Amino acid sequence: MSNDERWTETERRARELFDASVDGLDGETLSRLNRARHAALAEVDHARRSPWRAWLPAAAAASVAMLAVVLWRMPGDSTDRSAASAEGTPAAEVVELLATSEGIDVASEDPEFYAWLATRDEPPVPNGAG
Amino acid sequence: MAGSVSLDFAGAHEETTLESALTLDRFLASVERRAFRIAQMAVRDRDEALDIVQGAMLRLARGYARRPSEEWKPLFYRILYNGIRDWQRRSTVRSRIFGFLPGQRADVDDDGPQEDPIERVASGDPEPSQQLMAAEAMEHLEAALAELPARQQQAFTLRCLEGLDVADTAAAMGCSEGSVKTHYFRALHTLRDKLTEVW
Repeated sequence: MSNDERWTETERRARELFDASVDGLDGETLSRLNRARHAALAEVDHARRSPWRAWLPAAAAASVAMLAVVLWRMPGDSTDRSAASAEGTPAAEVVELLATSEGIDVASEDPEFYAWLATRDEPPVPNGAG
Repeated sequence: MAGSVSLDFAGAHEETTLESALTLDRFLASVERRAFRIAQMAVRDRDEALDIVQGAMLRLARGYARRPSEEWKPLFYRILYNGIRDWQRRSTVRSRIFGFLPGQRADVDDDGPQEDPIERVASGDPEPSQQLMAAEAMEHLEAALAELPARQQQAFTLRCLEGLDVADTAAAMGCSEGSVKTHYFRALHTLRDKLTEVW
C-alpha cells in the first residue's frame, strides 16, 4: 500500500467513525440541541419584531434624567427652598432617589410611586416659621 | 395608495425575514450535531460542549443572520472554535487556581468520569460488537487528535471530519489556504502513524 492510499484510508476511516458517532447521539442530547437552536432563532425573531427594545435602557435612563432636571428646576420661593434644604426638599429627595438604580426600578415598575410623589408636592414647614 | 405600497413593502419584508429565519433554522439543524461532536471531542464534556454549541448558535444568529447564507458555515465554525478556545483558557486558569489548593483537582470534572465508549454505542444498530469496535476506534481517534497541536486539530477536524473545502477551512481558522494545507498534511501524517496500528 502506498503512502497516498494509506492516507486516503485514514481519512476515510476517520470520517466514517465520526459520522457514526454523530448518528449515535442520544435522544437527550438531540433534544437539548434542538432547544438551543430554537432559542437562537427566537432571539433573532424577538430582535426583528421589537428593535426598539435595544434602546429601552437608554430611553429609561434619559427619561429619568429629564424628570430629575425638571423637578430640580421647579419654580418656588427661594426663601422656602433654602430653608427647606436643611431637611431636604421633595425635589432633592426625588433627584436623589431617581439618581439611584432603585429609583429607576421604582419609576418604571411601580405606578404608585407617582401617587406618592403627588402627596409630597408641598415643602415641609421650616422649624420656627409658624 | 401610498399606504398600500407601504403595506406591500412591509409584507414583502416580513416574508423575506421569515424565509431567512427558516434558512437559518435549516442551516443550524444541519450543523448542530457535528458541531456538538467537534466541541465534545475538544472539551471532553457533554454539558460544556452543549453550552459552547448553544453559544455559537446565538452569536451567529445575533451577529451574522443577515449575512449571505453561504458565509454561515465558516463563520459558525470560527465562532465555535473561539468558544472552545475560551473554554480551554478558563479551564487552564481554573486548573492553576485549584492547583494551589490542597486536596483539589480541577482536571477532574464535576460530572464524574469520562464517558464510557460502551455507553455511547447507540442501541438497535447493526452488531453490538461492531458498534463497540467502532466506539473504541473513535476513542483512539479522539485521543490521537487531542495530542495534536490546536491548529492541526482544527484543520483536520474541519477539512476531513466536517468536510469543509480549503477556502472555507481557511476562513473558519482565520489563516491562509497554504497554512491550512500545511496543518492538514502534518495532522494527517501524525494520525496515520498513530492509528494505522490500532485500527
